[in-house]
Amino acid sequence: MSRAADTGARGSLETVRPRARTGRWTRRNFLGFALIGLAPKTQRAIIGGFADDGHGPGHALRDHSQFPSARRTMKIPVVIVGGGIAGLSAAWRLDKRGFRDFVLLEMHGQAGGNARWGENEITAYPWAAHYVPVPGKTTALVRELFEELGVLRNGVWDDRYLCFSPQERLFLHGRWQEGIEPAVGSTARDREDFSRFGDCIRQFRATGEFTIPMDLGAKPSQLDRLSIAAWLRQERFTSRYLYWYINYACRDDYGALAGDTSAWAGIHYFASRDPEEKGPLTWPEGNGWISRKLLAKLEHYVRTGTMAHRIRREGNRLQVSAGDTDYLADFVIFAAPSFLASHLSDDAPAIPNFVYSPWLTANITLDRLPRAQGMETAWDNVIYDSPALGYVVATHQSLRTHEDRSVWTFYWSLAEGPPAANRRLLLEYDWDWWKAAILADLERAHPDIRNCVSRIDILRLGHAMARPVVGFLESQERRNLINSRGNLLFANADLSGFSIFEEAQYRGIQAAERVLARLGR
Amino acid sequence: MPLLLFVPVALIAACGLIYELIAGTLASYLLGDSVFQFSTVIGSYLFAMGVGSYLSRYIARGLVARFVSIELMVALVGGFSSAALFLAFAYTQGFRLILYALVMIIGVLVGLEIPLLMRILKSRLEFKELVAHVLTFDYLGALAASLLFPILLVPKLGMVRSAVLFGMINAAVALWSMFLFREQLGARVLLRAASVLVLATLGVGMAGAERITEAADNSLYADEVIFARDTRYQRLVLTKWKDDVRLFLNAHLQFSSRDEYRYHEALVHPGLASLAGARRVLVLGGGDGLAVREILKYPTVESITLVDLDPDMTRLFSTHVYLSTLNQHSLTNPRVHVINADAFPWLDQNTGSFDFVVVDFPDPTSYSLGKLYTTAFYRLLARHLSAQGLVVVQGTSPLFARQSYWCIVETLKQAGLRTYPYHVYVPSFGEWGFVLASLAPYEAPMRLPAGLRFLSVHDVPELFRFPNDMLPVDAEPNRLNDQVLVRYYERDWREIAH
Repeated sequence: MSRAADTGARGSLETVRPRARTGRWTRRNFLGFALIGLAPKTQRAIIGGFADDGHGPGHALRDHSQFPSARRTMKIPVVIVGGGIAGLSAAWRLDKRGFRDFVLLEMHGQAGGNARWGENEITAYPWAAHYVPVPGKTTALVRELFEELGVLRNGVWDDRYLCFSPQERLFLHGRWQEGIEPAVGSTARDREDFSRFGDCIRQFRATGEFTIPMDLGAKPSQLDRLSIAAWLRQERFTSRYLYWYINYACRDDYGALAGDTSAWAGIHYFASRDPEEKGPLTWPEGNGWISRKLLAKLEHYVRTGTMAHRIRREGNRLQVSAGDTDYLADFVIFAAPSFLASHLSDDAPAIPNFVYSPWLTANITLDRLPRAQGMETAWDNVIYDSPALGYVVATHQSLRTHEDRSVWTFYWSLAEGPPAANRRLLLEYDWDWWKAAILADLERAHPDIRNCVSRIDILRLGHAMARPVVGFLESQERRNLINSRGNLLFANADLSGFSIFEEAQYRGIQAAERVLARLGR
Repeated sequence: MPLLLFVPVALIAACGLIYELIAGTLASYLLGDSVFQFSTVIGSYLFAMGVGSYLSRYIARGLVARFVSIELMVALVGGFSSAALFLAFAYTQGFRLILYALVMIIGVLVGLEIPLLMRILKSRLEFKELVAHVLTFDYLGALAASLLFPILLVPKLGMVRSAVLFGMINAAVALWSMFLFREQLGARVLLRAASVLVLATLGVGMAGAERITEAADNSLYADEVIFARDTRYQRLVLTKWKDDVRLFLNAHLQFSSRDEYRYHEALVHPGLASLAGARRVLVLGGGDGLAVREILKYPTVESITLVDLDPDMTRLFSTHVYLSTLNQHSLTNPRVHVINADAFPWLDQNTGSFDFVVVDFPDPTSYSLGKLYTTAFYRLLARHLSAQGLVVVQGTSPLFARQSYWCIVETLKQAGLRTYPYHVYVPSFGEWGFVLASLAPYEAPMRLPAGLRFLSVHDVPELFRFPNDMLPVDAEPNRLNDQVLVRYYERDWREIAH
């Protein structure tokens, strides 16, 4: 049992090989059958490509490439670097407090970061983050935002945005079951372990240590000094299903294996939430819906396609070079992933111990829905023992009773093996390779998937999220970033060790509040 | 001796006619428009027989052996024609092509039979005797077949087995001919073996007719399937047993023509008759037009909007001779506007208020259908209701699915509506439940339209009384994010099944 925790994600990248196409129809027998309307649907061409993942400009930054010099200089009190949820939340806060002298610089053509979205003729769809758990009473900032956006009205959550039933299903032993906790073929031992794990979580929740935002509750903890897999072993859990489930949760939320994830973070995932309503909150474009709403309010502050490539000290100010402009700012809120800062600025601390998980997401357009055994399609659909994380259905929040077409967002955190090596694979393999790997994975649950898919668009995220590895909670590097005293303030969710909407929003708002306080506002 | 010679003539004539009748009947059952189907099937069949007769001149030698092999071919093709047509309809897009191809093949083969037989017999009889006898028995066989088919075969055996039975008769004629004309034929081991093989195949086909039709969904239904189609949205099956036509959507019974009037009178009149001068009516679901038929009994109603997802369903009930008679052509009435759309988004995207809304959806057997029974849906519905307006919701069985029924009532309440639950007995369904819901208080009607078969004014208040075994039970409301109803429904019916 000692390696039980590693069994969940057994399929490494190498095991998911593209499969040769078989079965060919000659023109003659096709015509013959077509005449009497008996022709089976033939294998069809699947189109698509890589979405703009910005690794070109990103690597130029890393490699200290030459950037064109600025043609103008602009004095502005505050510059926000990065237009993900942290940056947008900082902007939202500044604007809401009546402070309007700032710009937000976003390297991509579209702001949103991990909450970016896309849209085609069928539906809008997320590129990464796709839900927010219903915030509890203590998660005040998230509730404030949702009240402003009309998601929460007079204490009632708009039921169009609460994830519709059925929320989750799991493909296990050849059929789909409802819920992600494996039930098909579970033994009394499995059920006992799940129930005891539930009891442990309730006790942890009662301590008040596991909060969202995590800053409000976190304190030095023994649990940060071992992995969640080690903790499970220490507590004498043996159910293979439970280990799979916890490992899945870690891969899904942190892009890490249970053996690499801090037990504190692993427990935080379960113990931090006690929702007042069955959720989560979700939209066709995932958290892109929130980005959209925020951008509608904050558009005029945002400069997209503008990468900050240099931050240099100029007297008491910071000079941020981006595109054709040098911004002379009193404060810079660095909301992009924190590891980037040391590529831009000599003042920024290097943070070699921050680990970032590489991810791949794919938006799969289906112009017909595949057949499936068992439970009907849910919002989140997971295949047991798959190296990937399953798919989320973008049309799930539709009011229709019948869908002919859909877009599925396929998630794959490359958790197994060293992140740097996986990042190389991400760039090395071409689109055809990833397409074949994705289809081979889905084919286990949907044998006719190849006849349903018309396109696959793939986004490669080299540094998708910070990974709460063992020791992250008390790491000195993390403390230093949070408490940095200069006029370069950090705001990315990686300060919390994990990338969730609430943490990104909290860090962005905290940075904005500190800037406002120092500006005497 | 002549009788022994001529009985096979009558038999093959009967077989030929039976295949023709089966093709014609199936075509009109499955495609509708029976005049067109019968005319074209009979026409092409007779034409094919002419082709067969003409081709017979090219058969010079070995007449008996050819005749026997043709009989065996007819036995196989004709015997399995009915099964082939059902399967073709269920599984291919090319039903018409297969239909006419089968009709032509059988026609040509049958057209060959009589000329060949006459030539075989010509040495035994004088020409005038031969013609007189062959044609007499030919017509006698046809008469027998045309009487047997509707009276005995279809009701007792069904289409698939009738065809197989007559295939076996063709094979028996083959064997009989081999015996009769053994001198002319000589020892033909292969032909004899083939006959036995064909007979055996048909025997298996007869025994396995259930299996064959199972593939075409027949086994699900107690009665003969007369129409089956996989539309874009659902599987639509009509069955018929004597004068009882039943509609199944995805294998769930929607109505039986014998007692649907009870269901639809109870669905419409307790609500609509209580509203003085209702003008605008909305029907959600109910693409069979039967609720609309009841609503049209109110002269005050100016417009009825019917929103049903499936255009094939509303088209079938607008055009099919039998079905449009059943709904009294309600769907083609000028007061009725048929819209093929998904009800929830349609309500969401349209404004306009209605005095009376009929919500007649399939039971909440899946989470997709369950959306139409949620607080969110009913709240949206309430926004489309005039101040004095009424909604009636079909609510499954308060007896068999008690918690499901009271869950629907609770969900309507949570959506801010007053509720008035009632029920009715429909023999083919059992006890069935409805819920009237409104913003203003409801009072039972003082009068009903004339000519109702089931409901009378003094019976209406009775419907609102629930006996002990159907009284309210606790149930959570059904919400989009927590569809308890689908789980209640599954559990309620599973308990019944045990």
